[in-house]
Amino acid sequence: MSKRRMLALFSDFDEAHAAISDIRRNEVPGVTVDDVTMKSPIEHPDVEEVLGERPVHIQKFTLFGAIFGVTFGFVFLSAAQAAFMVQPQGGKAVIPLPSNFILMYEMLIFFAVWSTFFAFLFLSGLFKKRSALYSEKISLDQIAIIVEIDESAVDPMKTLFQKHKTLEIREEVIQ
Amino acid sequence: MTMATEKDINEQIAWAKINTDVLKSMENPRPAYWVTLFVCVAMVSCAVLAEYIQYTEGMGTANLNNPHMWDMYISAFVFWIGMSHSGTLLSAILHLIHADWRKPIYRFAEAMTTFSLLTAGLFPMIHLGRVWNLYWVLPYVSDRGIWPNFRSPLVWDAFAISTYLTASMLFLFVGMIPDLAICRDNTTGWRKKLYTLLSLGWVGSDRQWRHFRKIYLLMACFLIPLAVSVHSIVSADFAMSIMPGWHVTSFPPYFVAGALYSGCAAIITLFILLRYFFRFEEYMTLPIMEKTCKLTFAIAMVWTYLNLIEFASVWYGHDVYNKELLIAKATGAYAWIFWTMIFCGSVLPFALAVRSLRRHMPTMFVVSLFLNLGMFLERWMIVAPTLSMSQEPHQWDIMYGSIVEWAIVFGSFGWFGMLFLIFVKVFPSVSMYEVKEMVFHRKRSAGEEDLERMTDHAKPATQTTTGGEGA
Amino acid sequence: MSLDNILNHWSDFRKGSEEGGHHNYEHRWAMAINLDLCNGCNACSIACYSENNIAVVGKERFEKGQAMHWLRIERYWDQPDKVYPEQGASFLPMMCQQCGAATCEPVCPVAATYHTPDGLNAQVYNRCIGSRYCSNNCPFRVRYFNFYSYYESSWPEPMEQQLNPDLTVRDKGVMEKCTFCVQRIRTVKDKAFMEDRKVRDGEMVTACAQACPTSAIVFGDTMDEDSMVSKLWKKHQVERGVYQKTKLAKKNTDLRGYRIFEELNVDPSVMYLERVREDI
Repeated sequence: MSKRRMLALFSDFDEAHAAISDIRRNEVPGVTVDDVTMKSPIEHPDVEEVLGERPVHIQKFTLFGAIFGVTFGFVFLSAAQAAFMVQPQGGKAVIPLPSNFILMYEMLIFFAVWSTFFAFLFLSGLFKKRSALYSEKISLDQIAIIVEIDESAVDPMKTLFQKHKTLEIREEVIQ
Repeated sequence: MTMATEKDINEQIAWAKINTDVLKSMENPRPAYWVTLFVCVAMVSCAVLAEYIQYTEGMGTANLNNPHMWDMYISAFVFWIGMSHSGTLLSAILHLIHADWRKPIYRFAEAMTTFSLLTAGLFPMIHLGRVWNLYWVLPYVSDRGIWPNFRSPLVWDAFAISTYLTASMLFLFVGMIPDLAICRDNTTGWRKKLYTLLSLGWVGSDRQWRHFRKIYLLMACFLIPLAVSVHSIVSADFAMSIMPGWHVTSFPPYFVAGALYSGCAAIITLFILLRYFFRFEEYMTLPIMEKTCKLTFAIAMVWTYLNLIEFASVWYGHDVYNKELLIAKATGAYAWIFWTMIFCGSVLPFALAVRSLRRHMPTMFVVSLFLNLGMFLERWMIVAPTLSMSQEPHQWDIMYGSIVEWAIVFGSFGWFGMLFLIFVKVFPSVSMYEVKEMVFHRKRSAGEEDLERMTDHAKPATQTTTGGEGA
Repeated sequence: MSLDNILNHWSDFRKGSEEGGHHNYEHRWAMAINLDLCNGCNACSIACYSENNIAVVGKERFEKGQAMHWLRIERYWDQPDKVYPEQGASFLPMMCQQCGAATCEPVCPVAATYHTPDGLNAQVYNRCIGSRYCSNNCPFRVRYFNFYSYYESSWPEPMEQQLNPDLTVRDKGVMEKCTFCVQRIRTVKDKAFMEDRKVRDGEMVTACAQACPTSAIVFGDTMDEDSMVSKLWKKHQVERGVYQKTKLAKKNTDLRGYRIFEELNVDPSVMYLERVREDI
């Protein structure tokens, strides 16, 4: 049995929301809300009510970057100062903590920001090959719901979408 | 509420119109654009010529001399760093406090941040005596075991500015990804290739938006302390020295306030220019202008206060060098600069407190330019008079920059203008997706208010059937 | 390995000048300048020019303030009631004070200026990138910058023959300043080392001290208890790391020694002996 990917466009977020909550209530047998992806032109935090809490792990990378930045900063700076013995200057200590703290602060932010950014790039599903099931309307003003379903569920899914005034349905075979 | 408050933005605006309006601003430059760009390039050429002379002849061509080792290059550096503060800092702060009126104006403000940082970054190079050895400031591992001096505020600058530059560029870029996807979907040719590359495969899926919301929040959280630290560190160039007029404890907040101030004034200038040239009246509306003006006024008053604090602490501190320097600033050869600075920085902003003036764009345009003039003079008044009149009386001197120095400072404005002009034609200068968000949420909450008003007399049950929740 | 170095020397590395700093000084070169003997003849300045290959910048650039006289004679008319020039002018030879807690050192981004075990502020010309921060942070304003290249204009042929081969000619974009004739110090120290003895007092003379017709400048090592300089410092109760304001309060006219800008706590190595005035 082949799998299909199906895209339905909606003009209104509320309709899409309602359609997803129908899927969540298992109105189409064999299709769960985990098979659903929503694509939207703007951010809709409300959709998590029906899509369920899907985890985001970026902040862990941020924390890692921050801790790395500050510890690496200290070790790097003081190691460099201890190796560079010309450093006793102006009556100041060889390893002056106040100025190292300032640089550690900057390095904390530097590494935290970059690791956040790379985490975003790799965790958010960018860089994927975009499937043919994409409508330019999504970046304009329409909401798309994408489901991956078995062939048998195609027709009931269509009915469900039409009930919620879908504008257009497209599908493709993925296997 | 008796007086109907004006709306920040028309909520009924069609989303397709937002796209077409913004995308149109990126196309088909008009002759005025080419003329402005040409002027900017000509200004940059002057600076390049001047820099060529200075590079081959030596720093003496800038009229620098023994007491005045630093002059306008450093004040221009501080000026441009300061200018860069409003964009990112305001954008991040307003994002955190959910002030959604930032949405139509933050994009160009962040671009301004990036480009003024790129301008500011030129000055430490231009002012170096041996610029070809610039990389010695970087902490790279050398086989001779030589490191930069981590105690020097100039090295702190290098760290802070590179962090700030990369972080604010990332913030600008990340915030632009959904818009780049819009551009990708609506363009052809080289633009399509460029935007396809830059939008990194953004499709607006729920997963992407979820991560997007998180990273944007996280970056905003990091950028606020970062921006504050950057200008504090720039102020450390002065505050960490022992020169009278530089060694001032209140310099970090004073610099941050001054930075926000000049940045806000620059936002007003660019706001008016974009509103006029790109016909962005529907996005860059008068209420948003008013909010920006009020913010600028508040910051101007903070700056004035910190100025007074500095004068007062010098006056009552009775440190002879500081006190004499302050008197010399206000009455000596540079008095006209000092008083122009006070007028532009502390008196003129009261125009921002007048509603009718706030709403008069030509006035605001001129006022914002003068505010920035005041801020430029402020930076100059920090750098030069101290050197003119430091502790050592034998070396007291008066000095004004040479034509080489002026040409380079003048050219930096052209450089900034050039980068900004290229930006507005290559990238959307108004955030399309966020204007849509703003419209969406405002419409929804307005709708709920209407509904509440209607359902006061009807059954409350209708509320629950509408389903959607306002933000 | 520097990590070992940190762990083994942490407490040493955290010492500031208050606790003696990290340096174990071999010498602490210092000067005593008797202003009562100085007649402002400028011989010291000239001697400095020829010893240290200092470029002559020309009249116009001198007027612009771009001159590089490592040792300058400052003239002050601090007694306006006197008839100038017979009595009114006083002279003060000003050169790098080789501060113990020098403000120029910590601000250099590339560590081109640092403290030597001889107690000198060394300026590494090769390392200097010309940010000029050191000069801005010098309260004495004795750091001079090569605003132009002078090796052609300052020493036209055959004048390059008179250049001192013991040190370099600096190019544009480099900061320079009085070194206490470090090339002479080097020679003297090497000689003493070869002969397996300590440097004798009076063996090391700077160009300015050598040229001074009235012997107003005395140079020596304050770590050598018996040196002329040490004795002078002690006699006038000038001590390193101590702010001498209390001495001024004593109004003891025999104690003429002071260091300039002592209140800034930069710990200069040059002691000046105040001019004796008739009316004080």
